[in-house]
Amino acid sequence: MRNVFVAGAAVAPFGKYKDSTPAELGGTSALELMQSVGVSPDRVDTGFVGSVYGGSLIAQRVLQRVGISGQPIFSVENACASGGSAVNLAFQAIASGIADSAIVVGVDQLSTFGGGALPLTTADVETAQGVIMPATYAMRAQRYLHQAGAEPMVLDRISVKNRGNGAHNPRAHFQKSITLDDVAQSRRVADPLKLLHCCPNSDGAAALFLCSEDFGRDLAVDLVRVRASVVRSGQFHTSYRDMTWPDITERTARAAYEMAGITAADLDVVELHDAFAIAELLHAEALGLTERWKAHVAVTAGEFDRDGRVAVSPSGGLLSRGHPVGASGVSQLCEMYWQITGTAGDLQVPGASVALTHTTGGGIFGVDNGACSVHVLAAD
Amino acid sequence: MTTVQQTKRKLLSEDWYRHTASGVELLVSDCNTCGHRWFPPRSACSSCASEDLTRTHTGARGIAYASSKVHVGGAPWPKEYVLSYIDIDGVRVLMHTNSDQALTPDTPVTIALGHIGTDNATELWSYIAHPVGKDIESPEATS
Ligand SMILES: [Zn+2]
Repeated sequence: MRNVFVAGAAVAPFGKYKDSTPAELGGTSALELMQSVGVSPDRVDTGFVGSVYGGSLIAQRVLQRVGISGQPIFSVENACASGGSAVNLAFQAIASGIADSAIVVGVDQLSTFGGGALPLTTADVETAQGVIMPATYAMRAQRYLHQAGAEPMVLDRISVKNRGNGAHNPRAHFQKSITLDDVAQSRRVADPLKLLHCCPNSDGAAALFLCSEDFGRDLAVDLVRVRASVVRSGQFHTSYRDMTWPDITERTARAAYEMAGITAADLDVVELHDAFAIAELLHAEALGLTERWKAHVAVTAGEFDRDGRVAVSPSGGLLSRGHPVGASGVSQLCEMYWQITGTAGDLQVPGASVALTHTTGGGIFGVDNGACSVHVLAAD
Repeated sequence: MTTVQQTKRKLLSEDWYRHTASGVELLVSDCNTCGHRWFPPRSACSSCASEDLTRTHTGARGIAYASSKVHVGGAPWPKEYVLSYIDIDGVRVLMHTNSDQALTPDTPVTIALGHIGTDNATELWSYIAHPVGKDIESPEATS
């Protein structure tokens, strides 16, 4: 297997862009990426576009805008892990030697749905009974707080931390700090979750350029090695699932650590899937950032702060940046590329050299999540 | 003066449960090859792909694993409603819950039919959890 490198990253700022289209949003980030990497469209061997609601042939519609047309290109849908899954396919293409260069774009436009919870897949047993994603995470939260003996206020702290980080991120949907009181005063969504425990439905796109070592040698850009790229699916069953332990995250992370030859203790910085505040606790434990039932203690002690033991979501996470679902995984990798190349500006985690990104998603019955992607980037 | 109710009733997922004197029992499939139990019932095992399954049913009592009061309901659901994951004889089933507040984890419940939403003028009915001690509205009584 060949080494694979990230050679460039671009994020179109997340927010509400009702007058745009997914193809335009994706095209904007693709164009910025191509210009920053300095490659012409004919030098791109293959392309992958992750999107959930972008529609048929979204990859063609995005990449045609920047002259990538005729090559093998693919649209990838894996719920919130669509972008991460698209990166994984590009990684496989280069690692196997089938391609020397690949463009990956993640894009979604959720403002077209109006407000409220995202529409879940139809013909699902639980959707038919009235479940929505905030309710699923709310029940995970209730059970976690109950079993860990944690104070509900830890959820408020996570929102305050991540929104505080996002206040420094010019690409974030929300660029304003909030207080514990703001969270407590926000309206109830699904007990114990309030509005400020939930990420916003956003519009946005992100793009990443991957290449082989030989291809990268000719580029006038910093290269960051992809030490691991792993995707796993949820294991389906209808018996008593432990909803406080996202086993899909644990399985994906374990495979990624093995591929990268590292342990969780080596990580300097992590962007994980904090679509709801409780998710930071569940996934931090499953990623091995802290012991089981101790993530709430770590948050309260500041261990996940930007200057803490391991920085968790220094970009602001999904809670600040927003969650245009297909774009989220790609944008996390963009943020980590800038961290490792020391170009993250106000978001920079001093000395960041080993980074992990994690996206998981898919509200379907019988699995804790439908799909999960984990990537490890490292400076060497 | 009496008013004639025009409301219609639609049973959701009625192939997945049966109504007995003790309440509502959920229909499940037991795999004779690997032992997995499935709800809703299936024609092939989703663990080992065997088609050697036995159709059986749970009892009408369970325990709440987790629960939440949802405040952002939209049609066909009520403005506010309580959802719970109920563990019942080897399967975990999401259901509406007859309670004003989220149930504390491990609260015992019984399962009955209940009104969970309204689609235009049609009442949607399905299996629903009742914390033990609460009166259960009998669907026959309101028919
Ligand atoms: Zn079986």
